[in-house]
Amino acid sequence: MSYISMGEAHRRITDYLNRFSDSIFSQDALSLKQLISISSNSSSLLSLADGLNVFQDANRLVKQSDRFSQFGEIAVPLLRCLQNYRINRLAEAYNSFEKSANAFLQEFRNWESAWAMEALYAIAYEIRVLAEMADRELASLGKTPEKLKAAGSFLMKMFGALAGKGPKRIGALNVTCQLFKVYFKLGTVNLCRSVIRSIETAKIFDFEEFPVRDKVTYMYYTGRLEVYNENFLAADQKLEYALVYCNPRSEGNIRMILKYLIPVKLSLGIIPKSWLLEKHNLGEYHDIVLALKRGDLRLLRRALQEHEDQFLRSGVYLVLEKLELQVYQRLVKKIHIIQKQKDPSKAHQVKLDVIVKALRWLEMDMDVDEVECIMAILIYKNLMKGYFAHKSKVVVLSKQDPFPKLNGKPVNS
Amino acid sequence: MSHQGASNTDTMAHLEPNSYQYMDPNQGASSAYSSLNTGVPSTTAPWTMKWADNNSTLNGVPPSSSYYHGQQNEPLARDNKDVTNAASQAVPASSLGTSHGPQEHTGYSSYSSSTDTYSHDNTGYQGYYNGYQQQTSNTYSQQVGAYQISGAPYQPLTSVDNSGSYAGSTSYSNTYYNTGDYQTAGGYSSGTNNNQSTSWSDGSYANYPSHQYSNYSSLDSNGAHNSSTVAAAPLSYEQQYKQWADYYSHTASDVSCAPGTENISATSASAQSTQIPGVATCYSISDTQPPPPGTTSWRKGPSSLEYPPSQESVVPGQSDTTNGYWKQGTSEFQSHHTSQTPTYSQASYSQAPSYTQTPSYTQTPSYNYTPSYNQTPSYTQTPSYTQTPSYTQTPLYTQTPSYTQTPSYTKTQSYFQKPLDLDPVPYENSQDLQKSASPQRSNSQYPLHQIPQSYHSPIQTVSSFDARRTNKVQIPTNPRIASSLTFGLPKTDKDSPTTDAVTKPAYVSVSMPKCDTKVLSHDAADSMLKPGMFPASLRAYVERALARCKNDVQKTACQTIMKEMITKASADGTLFTRNWDIEPLFPLPDMDGHKKDNSQNSSIGSALPKYKRSPSRRSKSRWEPLPEERLVEKLASVNQASVKEVSWDLVKEREQTGSGGKNESKEDGWNNAKFLQSQQQIQSKNLQRPFKKPRFGDTYSVTENGDASSDSEKEQGLTAYYSGAVALANTPEERKRRESRSKRFEKGQGQHAEIKHSRPKVVGSGNLYTKRASAMVLAKSYEDGGSRAVEDIDWDSLTVRGTCQEIEKRYLRLTSAPDPATVRPEEVLEKALQMVLSSQKNYLYKCDQLKSIRQDLTVQRIRNELTVKVYETHARIALEAGDLPEYNQCQSQLKILYAEGIKGCHMEFSAYNLLCVILHSSKSRDLVSSMARLSAEAKKNQAVKHALDVRAAVTSGNYVLFFRLYKAAPNLNTCLMDLYVEKMRYEAVKCMSRSYRPTVPLSFIAEVLGFVSSLQTEKNDEKNTNVLEECEEWLRAHGACLIVDSNGDMQLDTKASSSSLFMPEPEDAVAHGDANLAVNDFLTRTA
Repeated sequence: MSYISMGEAHRRITDYLNRFSDSIFSQDALSLKQLISISSNSSSLLSLADGLNVFQDANRLVKQSDRFSQFGEIAVPLLRCLQNYRINRLAEAYNSFEKSANAFLQEFRNWESAWAMEALYAIAYEIRVLAEMADRELASLGKTPEKLKAAGSFLMKMFGALAGKGPKRIGALNVTCQLFKVYFKLGTVNLCRSVIRSIETAKIFDFEEFPVRDKVTYMYYTGRLEVYNENFLAADQKLEYALVYCNPRSEGNIRMILKYLIPVKLSLGIIPKSWLLEKHNLGEYHDIVLALKRGDLRLLRRALQEHEDQFLRSGVYLVLEKLELQVYQRLVKKIHIIQKQKDPSKAHQVKLDVIVKALRWLEMDMDVDEVECIMAILIYKNLMKGYFAHKSKVVVLSKQDPFPKLNGKPVNS
Repeated sequence: MSHQGASNTDTMAHLEPNSYQYMDPNQGASSAYSSLNTGVPSTTAPWTMKWADNNSTLNGVPPSSSYYHGQQNEPLARDNKDVTNAASQAVPASSLGTSHGPQEHTGYSSYSSSTDTYSHDNTGYQGYYNGYQQQTSNTYSQQVGAYQISGAPYQPLTSVDNSGSYAGSTSYSNTYYNTGDYQTAGGYSSGTNNNQSTSWSDGSYANYPSHQYSNYSSLDSNGAHNSSTVAAAPLSYEQQYKQWADYYSHTASDVSCAPGTENISATSASAQSTQIPGVATCYSISDTQPPPPGTTSWRKGPSSLEYPPSQESVVPGQSDTTNGYWKQGTSEFQSHHTSQTPTYSQASYSQAPSYTQTPSYTQTPSYNYTPSYNQTPSYTQTPSYTQTPSYTQTPLYTQTPSYTQTPSYTKTQSYFQKPLDLDPVPYENSQDLQKSASPQRSNSQYPLHQIPQSYHSPIQTVSSFDARRTNKVQIPTNPRIASSLTFGLPKTDKDSPTTDAVTKPAYVSVSMPKCDTKVLSHDAADSMLKPGMFPASLRAYVERALARCKNDVQKTACQTIMKEMITKASADGTLFTRNWDIEPLFPLPDMDGHKKDNSQNSSIGSALPKYKRSPSRRSKSRWEPLPEERLVEKLASVNQASVKEVSWDLVKEREQTGSGGKNESKEDGWNNAKFLQSQQQIQSKNLQRPFKKPRFGDTYSVTENGDASSDSEKEQGLTAYYSGAVALANTPEERKRRESRSKRFEKGQGQHAEIKHSRPKVVGSGNLYTKRASAMVLAKSYEDGGSRAVEDIDWDSLTVRGTCQEIEKRYLRLTSAPDPATVRPEEVLEKALQMVLSSQKNYLYKCDQLKSIRQDLTVQRIRNELTVKVYETHARIALEAGDLPEYNQCQSQLKILYAEGIKGCHMEFSAYNLLCVILHSSKSRDLVSSMARLSAEAKKNQAVKHALDVRAAVTSGNYVLFFRLYKAAPNLNTCLMDLYVEKMRYEAVKCMSRSYRPTVPLSFIAEVLGFVSSLQTEKNDEKNTNVLEECEEWLRAHGACLIVDSNGDMQLDTKASSSSLFMPEPEDAVAHGDANLAVNDFLTRTA
């Protein structure tokens, strides 16, 4: 940070304040958004922050002029936030920003048109990002990270300001998405339910009316919620929507969607092409897909173990674990195919010993009872057609389509 | 005395006008002033008559008009407060408190309000401040000065007095000096303050009686106006009490800073004492002083004078009542005590402090030392002033600490302590302690102090006078006086007991709820062992405490308590800073001491009311002490009744023995003053004991007042004091008389007292009391200060330390504050846990025991490995019994405890936790998150691994694996899996009936579904058949179709069963859905 003269600092601050008030008077939401986006680290804001640290008495500047002081409640804490942000006092910065955001929301309620929607989005975004940074700082200091929670309640307030008839309602989904992000981060996803309910049931909202990007985000998060609920069909539907409408240039977003969509699709019996995994850098699913194709239980378990932490964190672990049955199905199917090649007449009778032996080759040490149980479950879950004869320890497969494909249907339970 | 009285009256007249003026502005104050005025005239009359006059005036005041009652009461209260305040230091707070107090004891909260309502108070405060700082010469300034004085006393309690006198001395001296008269006292600016205060106190005294009476009447509807005198007397007591309470509050706040409280009380006492003398002496002074600022206002006083007449008219009644009053007063007192008992008890506590305060009186001498004080900036540390306001605010407590902080304090204390010792001696005159030595010491000290602070000396003298009066003249005229005397006596008694027994009870009880945890037995023991190491006041305290013990059992109990207290104090570092003299003694079951120390008791009782308030404050800050205090208070109150009688007797005796009528009247006045300043009185008594001081003070006062009577008074006082106090205390006859009197009192009026007595006796340790007291305190605190929020309560300080040694204890959900007597300390809890573990009794018993252990741990805030062990034990036992709700409680506690890093079977319980989530939560999200929380290390743990395997078996529906894991479950994992067995079996049979054809042998099902272990089946055919039967039964119950094949083996017809299976309604299903609540089932399960 090079030395800045008092005059230069003064000039920068008044310049910022001029632009700030200009953008409001001219209802220029985009330039206002730039002035508000603290975390954008734009050069103009950074130099302003340097100026603020030199010229400490910015409040006086704001109060001196009627033009500035009109929005003093927004601008003063905003400047303080910028100043603190610059010197990495993030909790302080967040506190100031929340003050400023509250003042802005107050003003926003009074504006009849929705011209400032972009600026409001920026605030919703900034408050979340600043809260996350502040919480990291607080956690590193051994204090209770609570700013994100506070941001959540502020966003809820913002949602309340938007959920109504009028042009501002189209902003509701954006705020909802910020709320989702907060709730998912906090691990309080059940708080999403009330917001979802109001979005999906309130008559004032027409889902198609919302901006596409918000719809994609919304579908992504609700899809994830469905994964948690093991409601794979609904999850597939929502995530698919998100994938379809997602900006194809948003590689990161597509990858995030695929991270959930692939396990969901796998559980529905739909296996992705390997190029898709490679293209989106989803290598963790590679072995799983391979295991499914080969009926290699050992590979599946290894892959699960290898990426256990990752899968547990993203919440798809249990989804992937349930693929085990499909792997067994694949294994028996392979045995069946081999038997058919040897002796087509007896191919539909698969001896339990054979399966046990196959599993032993895979270094899966399972005894007859256990394998018998798994066969029973496969039949029970309709992954195999046929029956199990306990007396002779033989799986008798149906001669017609003994291994029905899931084809987008979940394994029935 | 007559001279003094005359001079006093003159001064009073002058002062009165002034005071009236002040009062006018103050409104309420004015009335008080008027009463004072009236009182003054009456005083001018024969001293003995003074009381009557005062009484009459007082009485008159109340009758004078409802207005008076209303406003006056308050004003009076205020005046009283002012006076008393001035006298007692509590002034602002007390005055406020009193004003409020009259209205309701809740006065504390009112303090601020009172200040508001009372412009005077406010002004007074300001004035005080001003006076201290600026020495503003407002008309109020005088009053202010008085207030300041009072205020100073408050602050002084520790630093305030000192500061007041010292810091104030300059400023005050200025203001006061401005007034001029005080300047004479002036050598000591503080002295001047004291003088002023004294004068004010004098006025207040007169006023006090009247005001108090009025207050009483108002307060105590009991006191019919007819008995208004009587009632008034009680009222005054109440006011005093209130004031005391205020004091207490201060003191209470000080409690931790016992020293501070002592100082406060001392200052207050000194102020009062000074006031008393001041009445005679100070009045003149005050007269001079008042004129400067608000002569006019004073003159306005005449209007107030009118009041006096009315009061005077009343007076006769009072005078008549005096005897009767005494009785009535006593009765009323008793009633008050009974009704107010809590407050009384508190008051007694506070009184105890006041006793200790007596030392502070000696401190007043230290004031005399003023030079030293001046040296000690701490005194000037006006913070005390600010503190006073803060006092009104709960913070007061913390403030007290500041008092203790003042090194000067300790110094003063040391000084005081000597005096205190001396004082106790006088008190104890009857008693064994330092009697001779103490007087000497006091004398020596006094001279020193007095010399520097002539004013102080007067004050002291006043106190001495009071003592003398109390001793010599039992002026029945003023029950108040008697009460005050009694108060003083109780204090002395306490002191003496403490000196004798030394320490334990008092220390324990008083000191340190806060310190509880800190308590260092060693320290305490050391302190106990090394008296030389401890402040004399502490020793005196111990002696006092022990003296109260009637028998060895009590003594030992007291000793242990005191040890704790001392250790706490030493741990706190307050050992030397605390004003042990002020520290409330433990509540003892013994009544004997009370009887003996009737006067003391009474004084305690009077003090108690005030203390009550303070206790409440204390209670907030300190859990244990409060209870103790309350107990003490109760005792005191009980004692008080008796004490009152005794005190009266004593007073009478003293009067008889001692001084002439004039002196008596003065003494009465003193007594009254003392009454008002029960604490002060106590202190004063202490001072008196060091009679030399009083004498000196008298002389000083005389000199100051210029009254010839002072000399005579001094002489009389000295003689009376010695002869009366010592003789009384010592002679068995006296004791008998006192006892009989006290008994009389108890029988006649003191049912409450008896009850109280009996209670303490029963309780012994006073646990119940403490419990109740603490609870009450809390409640009171809530009531008192709307401003006090729950979050303001220092819960740490309220943590209980158990004393119960019973290993077995039934669980009872607490509905009030825990009683340390029923709470087991950690060692005992450990034994209790072992007992439960080795017990052969059923789950219900164990659960009950464990819950009580948990409760004891919780209330004592014990969170260590024992806690973990208890919760783990309970969780396991609950699991074994299938008591999931109880298990869940333990599990959630364990989670927190483990998170705090306390060691235990963390892995075992994280396995349980995992199983719980698997089995009871259908949400995969919970499962995933709890799995994600497991550390890599945890996943290697056998139990956790098992739980994870179970999870996998459940999610995949692998019943074979599930039941294998079921059989191999470590720890109590089986118990949790039990809860899932039924569901798993049903799913398995459904699966089998769908996938197996044509049949499945029953034996296979039984084996796979865990109906029996394969080993057992092989070894034991009988068992095998049993198992098969069991399995068959289960299958049939679930609608399975069973057939017998050609070999005679039972087979499951899968095709038929696939459509007929159903989940039967659980037999133990209950409407509310929780089978655990079905008592019969529970009993059978746990039996």
